[in-house]
This record gives sequence, structure tokens and C-alpha cells, in this order.
Amino acid sequence: MQVMIYKGMSRMLKMLKKILQYPRLTVDYPRIPFTAALGSGRPVVEKESCTLCGQCVQRCPSSAIVLDRDMQEIGFNLDECIFCSLCAQVCPAGAITVSGDFELAQKYRGALRSLMYEDLGVRMEAKIRKIFGRSLHIREVDAGSCNGCDYEINATMNPLNDLERFGVHFVASPRHADMLLVTGVVTRNMESALRKTYQAVPDPKLVVAVGACACSGGIFRDSYAAQGGVDAVLPVDVYIPGCPPRPQAIIYGILKALDPLK
Amino acid sequence: MSLQNIKRQLQDEFSGYISELSVMYGQEIRFSTDADKLPEICGCLYHQMGMPLVDLFAADERSRGGKFALYYVFAHRTKGVFVLVKTLVDEKKPVFPSITGTIHAAHLYEREIRDLFGLQPEGHPDLRPLVFHGNWPQGVYPLRKDYDGSLRPPMENMEQEFLHIHGTGVYEIPVGPVHAGIIEPGHFRFSVAGEPVINLEAQLYFVHKGIEKMCEGAGIEKCFYISERISGDETFANSLAYCQAVEKIAGVEVPERAQYSRVVFAELERLISHLGDLNAVCTDVAYGFAASQFGMMRIWAYQMTDQICSSRFLRSVNSIGGVRRDFLAGWEKKLQEFLLRLYKELTDTIQIIKSNSLFIDRVEHTGVLDLQTAIDLNAVGPAGRAAGIHRDMRKDFPYAAYGKLDFTVPDHNNGDVNCRINVKLEECFEAIKLIRQALEAMPQGGVHIPVDKAPPYRSALGYTEAPRGENIHWVMSGEDNTVFRYKIRTPSFCNWPALCHAVKGNVVPDFPLINKSFNLSYAGNDL
Repeated sequence: MQVMIYKGMSRMLKMLKKILQYPRLTVDYPRIPFTAALGSGRPVVEKESCTLCGQCVQRCPSSAIVLDRDMQEIGFNLDECIFCSLCAQVCPAGAITVSGDFELAQKYRGALRSLMYEDLGVRMEAKIRKIFGRSLHIREVDAGSCNGCDYEINATMNPLNDLERFGVHFVASPRHADMLLVTGVVTRNMESALRKTYQAVPDPKLVVAVGACACSGGIFRDSYAAQGGVDAVLPVDVYIPGCPPRPQAIIYGILKALDPLK
Repeated sequence: MSLQNIKRQLQDEFSGYISELSVMYGQEIRFSTDADKLPEICGCLYHQMGMPLVDLFAADERSRGGKFALYYVFAHRTKGVFVLVKTLVDEKKPVFPSITGTIHAAHLYEREIRDLFGLQPEGHPDLRPLVFHGNWPQGVYPLRKDYDGSLRPPMENMEQEFLHIHGTGVYEIPVGPVHAGIIEPGHFRFSVAGEPVINLEAQLYFVHKGIEKMCEGAGIEKCFYISERISGDETFANSLAYCQAVEKIAGVEVPERAQYSRVVFAELERLISHLGDLNAVCTDVAYGFAASQFGMMRIWAYQMTDQICSSRFLRSVNSIGGVRRDFLAGWEKKLQEFLLRLYKELTDTIQIIKSNSLFIDRVEHTGVLDLQTAIDLNAVGPAGRAAGIHRDMRKDFPYAAYGKLDFTVPDHNNGDVNCRINVKLEECFEAIKLIRQALEAMPQGGVHIPVDKAPPYRSALGYTEAPRGENIHWVMSGEDNTVFRYKIRTPSFCNWPALCHAVKGNVVPDFPLINKSFNLSYAGNDL
């Protein structure tokens, strides 16, 4: 009996030591900018050096780069981009660099696309946006991702990012949710489950598409089993590009949906 | 030598009914046979020669010889040899003999072939549709070459059948596809009486994206990026299997520094995956302290990959012909420091959790996968190793630089959650050991040989030991440096049926725990 008590005490002391050793892991993003991103964000093209040779357009595995010969420029459709940085590697003029800018979420999908005129007249109907106060409940739905985005959504809740400190909670049932966070291409087999989940969320509700697949279908968008993104099935409020978007990029997108950020 | 022995044995056993016997890449023995001789030959390879069935797939080769081809892949794991049996099926008589009766691991492969190619496995005990959930029109087969891969036929609405268990007090619990946690979609039907589970049926393929069809006709470069996106946290293991297959077809020898770099990244990926599983198991038994410890260590590993290659999931790191650039140059010291810190923390944490009898009580004797079931279903990876199948692709079929490095394969036999977490814990230490050795042994030099051409209509197997286990990809090149057929068989495909068996007899609240101890990929299974 005494041995057991001793063992238990000693384990407790060891645990306490660990807890004191690592008192706080959480970073201060978004209060302080996140700088660890070295270069997996928005691709940027330097117009002066670009020769419009079209190599990046041809090689892009996700066909996310467009060449506008009239406007004499190339542009990136960030909703389709899989952020593989192949364009920067193949550009013979070295005109493309991959920046660390990961705060890319947009409220209109058109704003992620290269040619802004596509967006004209496609303004979404202003949604009735009730103030959710300081608490937001989210239901996540994987509608056909590779699980990368879902891992990153999980990572928003880890001790480093601790999204709960903003009053954001992930809930087990759509009936308790204010927001659906959807990943994946929306597969044929998940379409009806996604619709049913959406219908189970009480109004008013928000839908956030996370990752290239959810934004546009990404690299899988032309497949027989994919519906080509969440907005083929549901109205989407915020698009968060990335493959997968890093946890901070997802936090940025969720906060953007709530309007505290521009 | 042993390869020649096996070849000779095959010639002796099957003389008369096999043709086109050849050896490729010094490890693939290939031959063709008639469909009616298949059960006998497969049975002999499996039962007499002791080779498990590791892959079984079809390819629409009607444009080449007028017929569909079926490939049966057996692995001689102690000799490091694959045996590929090919047989042809006529489109006018689209049937082939089922081998599920004698080799149970063939069960799901045959159903998949039926759904995607429309070839009927004769004598198969369970012919319910697998891939599509009653929403796909009958008589339409997406992996046939004459099906346009971008076509989305209208939704059908057909009844789906589940296995019903009858008896007094037996009831069903349906769960999913949308789960309570942030995980992938799948539907589970538990048949229970009181608390214990009598049967679990897992309906998968909710995230079926049609990956294999998409790759057909696509360039080898594009398929590389698709291979990275088969399963989120196995980016490197899957892309490496693909790259190795294409490198074999193109006849390219990858530079030595790249071989060692690949070991470093593959082991970093294993560390991240295993630490995540350990975190999840501890979370599911409400052991907050331990969960937080493993979670923290996993964060460290993610920070390391993020800093070294700007990608937490190691995307755009691999490349056909090596690794994309010399990521590791200059990071050796930082990486060694990280490994030391991780080693110490892991040792401390294990000491604490292993002395906690409350924790051990939850994991011991829970979710037992017995050895015979594991063998029958070809359970692989940590799940197989915990049940007593002490095999590892890195040892049996050494790839990259694994053949030159020293590591041990964990030896456990009880097949319960405890053994699975012990295997994963030990593999974390082995991964640390491997990365250290690779960093020290790594020579200077180039890391990439450009590969933009692949000769048409050649095929090769690419394989890795993914964090979840044996991972086998088969690539056949097409014209103009495209892919003609890409068959992906991830470890999760083998282990899902094993999980369903391991759950039986356990109480429903232990399902999440057992599930996490396997941690299977839905995306990797559904493709």
C-alpha cells in the first residue's frame, strides 16, 4: 500500500515538473504577426522580369495559372492553387517567388481569382448576419479531402494555436453549430450527407470552405466523383485557399467570417 | 540467388500453364497464365510457398491486346521478391474466378474490380457494391478506358444492404458518415447486445475522388502532385512510392544524398504520425497530461518540417529523380538538437505513463487482433507487427538508403491497443535513430536528376513502409510520358477489415480507442 502511494506521488511530482517546464505553448497570433512561414504562401510574379513564356501555365499541376495576353500579365487563381511552388521553380526568368503571405482568405471566391472582372455582378446576397457575440460554434465536415486540411483544423485547437481562447468551439452536432467548416472536393458519396448537415444547422449560419479542394475542387476538380468545390452545393461565406492552409490561415479565415478583421 | 530459386520453383510447379516468365528490376518475377488456372496457382503461391497476397488489380488493356488484364501481386517477404501473376479477361465474357474462398485478403480487391471495371469474380461470397453507395448507374464502369473521366452521371437512388445480426436483444447503432470529432467520413454499423459489439460493418468510400482514373492519361509530373494528395499525413510515403515506380520505369538511379534525404523525411513523417496517434489514444482514455505531452512533441516535429521545407506536410519536397532541392544542408545541427530534445521528452513521458496502472488497464487486452486473423487479412504496419507479423518493408524490400542503416523492428505479439502503442513508441525511437544515422552518413553531392521522360507501356512497383504500414503502388506508363494506369494500395486498405475484427467483443465506448490505435486513413482507402 505504501509503495503504491509512493509511486503515485512520485508520478504526480514528475507530471507537475513537466507542467511547470512547459507552462505556455500558445503563440500570440493574430495579435502578433506569425513569421514562421518562410515561403509556402501566395505566389508573386514580378511583372518586369516575366517574359509571358507560359511555362508556368503549362506545368501547373492544378491549372491554376492564367495568362492574359491582352493585359500582358499572368495571374494566379488562388482558389485552385495547391501551393506546390513548381511555378517558381520552372520560371526561366526567375520572375515568380513564393511569399510567406498566408493570410489569404476572402469572402468572395472571385477575390481569390486572378481576373477580377469574373467577380463583377456575382456579389452574393447580403446575408442576415446576426451577431454571434463572442462565441462561435463550429461543425467541421470532411466532404472528400485528403485529410490534410482536417489535420490543420485540428491543429487550430492544439496548445500552440488554442482557437478556443477566442470563444470558438468545435461541436459534435450540426444542430449546435453557427458555422460549417467544410473541407474536400464534395465527393459524389458525400454530397447528400453535406446537404443534410447544412440543413441541420440552425439559421443564421455561415459556411467556410477550407483548402483548395473545398474552394474549387483543387487538383481533383475534373473527376467523375468530385463536385468541384463546396459552392457547387452550398452557399459559401469565406474561402480559405491553401493545400492545406496552415492553422493560422484557417484562424484568419474564421475570424474574417466574423468581421473583426478587414 | 534466392530469386533464381523461386523462379525455378515456379517453373517446376507450374510448367505447362505459365508463359512469359521474366524477371524485372532484379526483384519482380512476372508471368502470365489462363484465368481457369488462377485459383490453383494463387493457392500454391499463398499456401505452399508462403507468399501473402499484397495487391490485386485490373487494368483496361483492350487498346493493347483487346482484353482486360488482372494482376495478382504476391510478396516473398523474407527473400525480398515480388511475384506478379497476370491473366487476361475477355470483354465479351467479363468474369474471372474468385480466390476469396482460399485467400481471404482478396475479398475487397475483387469487389473493387467488380465496381470499377465491371468484371465479375465468380464464386465470391459477398457481391454487394463497395465503391458507390447506390448512387451510381448500373452497367457504367469508370475505370474502363471508354468511360470519360470527367463525366458525372445523374444520381441514382438504390437501396444499400447491410449485414443484419438477428437475435433477442440485438440492436444496431449507426454512426456517421459525419462524426462528432474532426475526422474523415465513414459509416459504422455496430450490432450490439448490451454493451459488447457482436459485429461492426464499416461502410467506406465516402471520400472516393476517382484518383486512379484522374491519373490515367495525365503527365507523370501531374501524377506526382496527385500522389502527394492521396492521404494528408502520408504525403511523403505515397509520393515516394510513386517516384520509385517512375524512377524504375525511366531507369534512373537517384543520387545518394537524395536517398538519405528521403529517409530523413520519411522518418520525420513517421514521427509526426505516431506522435499524433499516441496523443489521440491518450485523449480517448481522458489522460490529459499524456495527450498534451505527445501533442507538444508533435508540434515540435511540425515546426521542424515547416522550418526546413516550408511545408508542415512535406509537400513539394519529394520529386521524381530525388528531392526537389537540398533542404537538409545547413539544418543538420538544428535537426540533431531537435532529436535530442524529443528523445529526452519521450523517455520522460513514457516513464510516467507506463507506471500508471489506470492507463494500462484501459489499453491492455482491449481491441485484440489475433495473429491468424491478421495473417488472413494481410494486416500490415504497426497493427500487423503488434499482432505478431514482424515484417517491415524497410527491412524486407530495402529502398532509399534503408539498406545501409541500422534499426530494429518492434517485437510484440498480443495484438491489443497496448501492443500497438508500444510498437509506435518503439518506432519513434527507431525513427530518431534512423534520422541521426542518415544525417551522419549522408554524403555531399547532388540531390536530383531530372526525369521528364518515361518509356511507354512499362510497369513497375513502388513501395514504402508508410507510418501506417506496407504501401504498394503500381505504375504503368503510357505514351508521351503519361501514366496509363496507376494502382494505389495503401496500408489502410488492408487494415480496415482487421479493425472491424479487432472491435468484436469489446464494449462500444472502447471503439474510439481501438480505432485511434489503428488510425487508418479513409482517403487512402477510398481514393
